[in-house]
Amino acid sequence: MPSLPRLIVQSALCAAALFLGVIPPGTASGADDPVFETDILPVLKARCADCHNTAAAKGGLDLSSMAGLRNGGESGEPAVVESLDESLLWIMIEGGDMPPEGQTPLSLPEKEMIRRWISTGAKSASAESSIIVTQHDVLPYLYTRCVVCHGARRKEAELDLRTVESILKGGKSGPVVVPGDPEKSLILKRIHAQEMPPPKELIRAGVRPMESSEINLLTKWIEQGAVKHEIVPDTQTDSPDSLVSDEDRKFWSFQQPVKPNVPASKLSPIDYFVQRKLNEQNLTSSPPAERLTLIRRVAYDLTGLPPRWEDVERFLNDKSDNWHAKVVDHYLDSAHYGERWGRYWLDVAGYADSEGKRSADPIRNHAWRYRDYVIRSLNDDKPYNQFLLEQLAGDELYDFENADAVTDEMMDALVATGFLRMVPDGTGSDIVDTVSERFEVVADEIEVLGSSVMGLTLRCAQCHSHKYDPIPQRDYYRLVSVFQGAYDVYDWLKPTSVAGQSKQKNPTRRYLTHVSNNVETQWQDDRKPMERQIATAQKELTEKEAKFRSQFVDEKLKDVPAELHEDIQAMLKTSKKERTASQRELATKFESSLTASAADLVKTYPEFKKLKASSDKSIKDLQAKLPAQPMIRALWDRGEPSPTWIFRRGEYTNPGDLVGPGVPSVLTDGKTPFVTEHLRPGSTGRRLAFAKWLTDSKHPLTARVIVNRVWFHHFGRGIVESLGNFGKTGVAPTHPELLDWLAVSFVENGWSFKWLHRQIMLSETWQQSSTLRPESEERDADNRWLSRMPLRRLEAEPLRDSLLATSGQLDATTFGAPDGVTVRDDGLVTANRNEDGWRRTVYVQQRRKELPSILETFDLPQMSPNCVERPNSMVASQALHLLNNGMVRGLTMQFAQRIEAKAGSDRYKQVEHIYQDALSRMPTPEESQLALEALSQLTAEWENRLADAEVKPTKGKESPSPEMQALANFCHVIMNSAEFLFID
Amino acid sequence: MSPRDRRSFMGSVANGLQGAALASLFSQDFYGRHAVAADKPHQSVRRAFDLTPKQTHFKPRAKAVIQLFMQGGPSQVDLFDPKPELDRNHGKSILKDIAKDLSSPDAAGGLMRSPFKFAQHGQAGTYVSELLPHLAKHVDDIAVIRSMFNTHQNHEPALFKIQSGKLMPGLPSLGSWVTYGLGSENQNLPAYVVLDSLEGRLPTNSGQNWQSGYLPPLYQGTRMRSQGTPILNLKPETDEPSTVEQLSRDLLGRLDRMHKAKRPGELQLDARIASYELAARMQLSASDALDITQETPQTLEAYGIGEKQTDAYGRQCLLARRLVERGVRFVQLFTSGQQWDNHSNIGTSLPSICGKTDLPIAGLLADLKQRGLIDDVLVVWGGEFGRLPIAQMRQGNDMKNAGRDHGPPGFSVWFAGAGIKGGTVYGNTDEIGWNAAENRVSVNDWHATILHALGLHNEELFFEHHGFKEKLTGVENVRIVDEIFA
Repeated sequence: MPSLPRLIVQSALCAAALFLGVIPPGTASGADDPVFETDILPVLKARCADCHNTAAAKGGLDLSSMAGLRNGGESGEPAVVESLDESLLWIMIEGGDMPPEGQTPLSLPEKEMIRRWISTGAKSASAESSIIVTQHDVLPYLYTRCVVCHGARRKEAELDLRTVESILKGGKSGPVVVPGDPEKSLILKRIHAQEMPPPKELIRAGVRPMESSEINLLTKWIEQGAVKHEIVPDTQTDSPDSLVSDEDRKFWSFQQPVKPNVPASKLSPIDYFVQRKLNEQNLTSSPPAERLTLIRRVAYDLTGLPPRWEDVERFLNDKSDNWHAKVVDHYLDSAHYGERWGRYWLDVAGYADSEGKRSADPIRNHAWRYRDYVIRSLNDDKPYNQFLLEQLAGDELYDFENADAVTDEMMDALVATGFLRMVPDGTGSDIVDTVSERFEVVADEIEVLGSSVMGLTLRCAQCHSHKYDPIPQRDYYRLVSVFQGAYDVYDWLKPTSVAGQSKQKNPTRRYLTHVSNNVETQWQDDRKPMERQIATAQKELTEKEAKFRSQFVDEKLKDVPAELHEDIQAMLKTSKKERTASQRELATKFESSLTASAADLVKTYPEFKKLKASSDKSIKDLQAKLPAQPMIRALWDRGEPSPTWIFRRGEYTNPGDLVGPGVPSVLTDGKTPFVTEHLRPGSTGRRLAFAKWLTDSKHPLTARVIVNRVWFHHFGRGIVESLGNFGKTGVAPTHPELLDWLAVSFVENGWSFKWLHRQIMLSETWQQSSTLRPESEERDADNRWLSRMPLRRLEAEPLRDSLLATSGQLDATTFGAPDGVTVRDDGLVTANRNEDGWRRTVYVQQRRKELPSILETFDLPQMSPNCVERPNSMVASQALHLLNNGMVRGLTMQFAQRIEAKAGSDRYKQVEHIYQDALSRMPTPEESQLALEALSQLTAEWENRLADAEVKPTKGKESPSPEMQALANFCHVIMNSAEFLFID
Repeated sequence: MSPRDRRSFMGSVANGLQGAALASLFSQDFYGRHAVAADKPHQSVRRAFDLTPKQTHFKPRAKAVIQLFMQGGPSQVDLFDPKPELDRNHGKSILKDIAKDLSSPDAAGGLMRSPFKFAQHGQAGTYVSELLPHLAKHVDDIAVIRSMFNTHQNHEPALFKIQSGKLMPGLPSLGSWVTYGLGSENQNLPAYVVLDSLEGRLPTNSGQNWQSGYLPPLYQGTRMRSQGTPILNLKPETDEPSTVEQLSRDLLGRLDRMHKAKRPGELQLDARIASYELAARMQLSASDALDITQETPQTLEAYGIGEKQTDAYGRQCLLARRLVERGVRFVQLFTSGQQWDNHSNIGTSLPSICGKTDLPIAGLLADLKQRGLIDDVLVVWGGEFGRLPIAQMRQGNDMKNAGRDHGPPGFSVWFAGAGIKGGTVYGNTDEIGWNAAENRVSVNDWHATILHALGLHNEELFFEHHGFKEKLTGVENVRIVDEIFA
């Protein structure tokens, strides 16, 4: 796509010429040909100018002047070109796309006039327009092609190409631009000679040579005198926005939520709103669920683990009226709560322990600190506004660089910015580290932000103004500008390098070492004893080496006359500088044959070889185990953002208008300027201002989007079903008043998640039974009116964690570096076991290319860039995994052993314990009977096999008794049962 | 079928009225998603997805696809696209004109003639290089497109593009779209099967080549292996008597039916029971499909099975036939690693991979023809891009070590089978084979053409996602390459 300059067309209307009937030069033929000003402009004014005028240029298009037509809209294509068939104006009119549906179409004569006008050369009464090239037609290309070496970080040849002033100043070889004289301008000479950008540096620097159209623009700008035109970035001012109207702002989700009235009644507000809708639909709610069901439901909802049987019994025996509230509080206080609900947040954040995009999928070290931050924040019930503020602008909250000591709060805030470092990123490989790929990363971050926090599909506006929602392309790039202090496509910090694909020397550039004193001390404490061990081992080796060396010298000296021995020894002990002349002479003669490197010693003495090998290995092992320096994978503002230009069609090679930071106009009154906030010196304060705006208690979307998400996780569907899209193409809320009541009350109650959980879980709505009643099935099949609780399949993590917990194999260690995975030859991926079992799934490495098979099978998505809503599938591979997988089978044996330890060999008791541990209830008599029969049959089969002489027990390993085998089989069946997998 | 009919129907099945045809209804993925129609923006529909055969948009030419994917980038000017200009200008440097298009200009040599000889074959006289003597015998059954182009010079993005339409990861692959659009003729086997090489290394981007993206996981490719366990977890990984397995299954069935009886009307539970039944059937079907001992020695020989060089790919090709024969919709074959990525020593590395694949592919075409399957199966050959016509000198200046760098701007692919006009050569590159010049075919065109052969219209095959109608061909204008069809 050839890039077109953003033209300033001089359009001084040649009124005198028109009046005198003088035809301007270049428009010689056809006196009857239509002319823009007299024949076309009136039509455009009548039919198009409502939307496409100077003040309100929809799609960036202004049809009220010839200049506007030539400039075209945000795609950068002029509306009128030489060929009729390629003129956008004609294409849109002829195809019936414009004016849009509902507006008066052009009449036939009007169409004919436009056709004729374009066909006869689109004449205009104005003088031949001359195109002025401004510095902003040229600077984007200098940023793309040159400033990596001639800019903020590096000034090769003392040259800085970022501003008109610095360009004119030039560098070591003098001025690079001679205004008015392109031929004498060094910059063009070097470009034409293909010396710049230097071909050999292209890949490393992530740049490509200039295109000829770009060179033409640069030439033209110099030709015109390399003038600096006064152009300020497009930002919101206090005069009303021309692109977004108050009408646009009227859509429900763009309006501030207002708390609806709830009449006094014994119903909770939630129940009141739900009941009202049920009544309207002539539906009733389901009866309350049984206490056992509720206990299991609460435990899974809040912790993702089965309740312990002791707790179940205690809750069952609680005679108080508020027993249910106590159960809810018990699990809200559990440390497992943060692991469960943190995981939901990690989904929308797109958490991953690897960079993705490239096949190598390099590991992101230290990313896990962000995971821990999320879990801790939820356990602490950190207010959501604070939680967001830290994740979006934690680096701008404190002056961490100059602080005397980094506090835990400061470190937390830096770790929190990991939220903005989660998307797939291939730029660790030099070859895909150009502005284009970097911009993909920025665009993905904006998409994550939009879908997870703002409930908007922002991505559309990357290439053109949003087709459905009032989000102009300009607003998208204002957001880009908000992030540009930290995410600068022209001044990029690399992620983890892809091995062998980067010549970058410092691969840790996205890390900060500003860890808190506590973390630092802990690290030193962990490290010191190991360092001492290493030092001791090294010392021992050195001593032994010295022994062998002196033996070596002794042996070699045997060939030297004995009278010299003493002098030679003395010479060897003297450093080269201090040697006397005679010693120097001795050295020339003997030193080389008497000196032995470690390699020589290894060659000469087999004992030393062996000793050194073993010592080297143990040192290496120790070094590998040394805890790495604690670092923070963070995003921070670097204070010198490059300018932000709109990328027409989303292409960086096609830059458009210069914009400044701002927020989507439709979510504001359209006349409030964006004011940056500075808490940290040297930071632009753009993200902080953005985060403050987003977490304002009056924000129309922030609270609505999150309460809807929490609701979704409790009920299996959102009040707004499209969780990440509250725009016009999203699904309207089923209970708009309930949504607003929740949103406003959530903010009033300190943005507290735990408050919200209590409200929801203590409602009668949430405590309904999940049994499907005919009326509910027939008239509320998808449960949008909440006439029951849905039956829900466990997600991947609670399923795996339940298998582990039930079989007593759950390692309770929390936090820290993730557990690795092992990939089998056939592709099966399994998390590695620790000494005490396996840790909860949230602590397993989330590498994009190696997700544990059981999780992938049960719908754990690959994050690209994040996951707004997980699918919920029911496929044969899930059955196959639970039935046949070796690890699952191993767990069933461990479950059986655990049961035997508790219940002894009494089959009846065993069955009771299995039901208690796995299903949180006692078996019915029928179930017990069935179990006992099955167990005896299974035992008989295993006994038969043992009796079968053909089958020999595996050598060296005592196989479990037939009774144990049978018990494990029974445990296996229970762990495969629908009741284990589904929560009522 | 209304929900109520469906329920009573399920009930009767659960009571023992089973059969393959009925059971096909159960391989369902109850996958709750909102769907938004443009004219009814606020309506919500919860959809269930399954693999039952679907209505095509129009009469299809092909019912199944075998995609012979040649990961790495096969060199068009050494295989299908002879360029006399390269012979004439061998060694001439054109670096000044092309430097900006190269990923590693340092290693760029001059124009390089093909080290291999071309000859015309068949009645149509299609040019094929000497590296593909077996395929050359089938040129009258294949249509070569010489004017494909891709838009990125690195494997990963170019692969994302050719597998799923855009340069980015996370989108549904072609095979997923096809199975989403058509379902499957066999409910006991996965609808979309991936056969990766027995030689061991997965292609670049590994599983992302066959992912289902935002489509339900039901449509994801399933890796099958012809040795060991064909599908992950297909067989119990601990040893137990078959009677124990049977007893456990029976007990599980009873417990699940008791559980379901207390929860009438829950389709999820029916679906789950069905998924367990399917798993059991799959154990038998998959093993049977992969059991090539059922084939005659002649067949094995025709695929090159038993010969060291061709054994691995021969097995993949034979399995592909056995799978489409059983109604599998989309079979995708990968060669090990990036053997088509001939950056150096193209004089030996290209003959090596051609030698491994040429005979098996010819064997496959002959076998499909002989069994009449060729009329229903579309065979698609090609990589993510081609190679540049200049030399790449990664190892010093000795032309003996020369290879070719990635060439996205122009490359060759071919089609055979259902509805294809054999002997066609469509499109052309420029005189040195750098750019697709005449009748250019984009990746999106190529996708639309494959869908077209299957009776699917690329604009009508969409999935509602986050309020948008997502399509394999995205918002690009595409052209179906009608010229290759009979």
